[in-house]
Amino acid sequence: MNAFIRSFASEWLKRKRSLAAWLVVCGAFFTPAIIFTAKLIRHGHLAAESAQPTYWQHLWKSAWESMAIFLLPLGVILATSLITQLEYKNNSWKLLHTTPQRYSVIFGAKLAVVLVMMGQFLLLFNVGIYLAGVLPGLLLGVPYPAAPIPYAAFLSDDGRYLVACLPIVALQYLISLRFRNFLVPVGGGLALWILSVAVLSWQYGYLIPYTYCSFTFLQGQPRFAQPVALLPWAVGYFLLFTGAAYGLYVQQREKG
Amino acid sequence: MQAPYVLETQQLSYRFGDGTAILQDLDLRVPAGSIYGFLGPNGAGKTTTLRLVLGLLRVQQGQVQLFGQPFAPHRLAALRRIGALIEAPSLYGHLTAIENLQVLQMVYQCPAARIGQVLSTVGLAGTGTKPAGRFSLGMKQRLGIAMALLHQPELLILDEPTNGLDPNGMLEMRELLRTLNQQHGTTILISSHLLAELEKMVSHVGVIHRGRLLFQGTLAELQQQRPGNARLWLTTSDAAKTMSLLQARGLDAQRHEAACSVPLLAPAAVADLVRTLVREQVDVYEIRPSQPDLEAIFMDMVTA
Repeated sequence: MNAFIRSFASEWLKRKRSLAAWLVVCGAFFTPAIIFTAKLIRHGHLAAESAQPTYWQHLWKSAWESMAIFLLPLGVILATSLITQLEYKNNSWKLLHTTPQRYSVIFGAKLAVVLVMMGQFLLLFNVGIYLAGVLPGLLLGVPYPAAPIPYAAFLSDDGRYLVACLPIVALQYLISLRFRNFLVPVGGGLALWILSVAVLSWQYGYLIPYTYCSFTFLQGQPRFAQPVALLPWAVGYFLLFTGAAYGLYVQQREKG
Repeated sequence: MQAPYVLETQQLSYRFGDGTAILQDLDLRVPAGSIYGFLGPNGAGKTTTLRLVLGLLRVQQGQVQLFGQPFAPHRLAALRRIGALIEAPSLYGHLTAIENLQVLQMVYQCPAARIGQVLSTVGLAGTGTKPAGRFSLGMKQRLGIAMALLHQPELLILDEPTNGLDPNGMLEMRELLRTLNQQHGTTILISSHLLAELEKMVSHVGVIHRGRLLFQGTLAELQQQRPGNARLWLTTSDAAKTMSLLQARGLDAQRHEAACSVPLLAPAAVADLVRTLVREQVDVYEIRPSQPDLEAIFMDMVTA
């Protein structure tokens, strides 16, 4: 366990100032920044909106609309690929593989960094939504929203989106560990994401592992209803892809 | 009890996917406490050998032993005692020199004070917040060596470490490696095609060409390996007359401006030659055997 923690700390330091780290911060605040700007432009409606009992739910839904279908899958595709690209770009797989670490520890620590970055992204996104909800009012002298923030519901949603992203993380991790060329995981990820958008209305859309973020957002709408529970499928795909990624990684003939 | 060889390979062979043989039956033996120069022209198989030794390539045939134990089942224990720099240094370009070392310090669990020590050792103590990606090639090479030294390894494996270094940098590197070897007992395996550079620091030599080990032993043994290469140099008052006298004796004489050379002769033949020259009124200024340098021996081996 200590070896894993040390390896994780080392991997976490590597992402400092990297494109992946900036992507998490910028991606998390992108949609809230747009909502904030829209609220400033439409400041005449602020007071009425702020007084509504479902103020936070509306804000939450509008923030997740673009995030769940577009930005989150694309961000996960990019961030996961960028983390492994750190080693290819710096020609440092050979350095990493000559440190006294088990391959399982290296594999797990890198994957853990991607997952913690996702957690970091969700945290920052939640902070961004809160700020987008209260800052325009504070700046323009509108009272603080009357309705309480439904923390439990929001945390539950965060958890479901996190699980929904896991298959994307695992498959992108698998592809980006195998291919030195950054365009392969990114191109493959984009193709799968486009496919996932195309099959949203299909009754077997759940078979495409990149659909779960969108389905999580669209759940409750009969047109997009799926015949299976999505989150167990997401976890299943995650385990399958992670196992395959580890097998392929360990069996690589050249390790740097 | 310490193993006599820090690194030993037995019948190590490697082929590319298309069947091209890269290494053939390599029996490398690096004695403890030595500076072992691994010599060979580009494409000879040096880097492939070092990558196999470090587990970066999977061994297809043969065995690798490090510190007296088979490498594969004792990989982690062996890697804890090894510092390596293979080909171009592996650095995280967006991190500073200190952060690059911290990445390794966390894994090796060595004291944080070592970071400052190794940076001073390689002359990079003042790089501050500059990202490693903006370092010159020489600075990157130094940082790569600092990273290899961080955990005070018993065996240092360096693949072409002087690439990108200026003459002064090469001199400093040589001094550093000598100090590590003599004061800390670090065994050093250093590959290079810069033969003259290695000749100045190694105690042992392995010569590889087209995947085969052509020679292995001490530097002195290598220099004695090919006495046929040694020649007798004569500087006289009349080089042209000297040449004709030498050729008249059926010797393979060569003219080198004011001097002449012939293959090394037995002592009695040298005395007879001198008497002849004096009798023919040619003054003999200097007569000396040439020790073939490593480069000449090496070229002789690989072109044989």
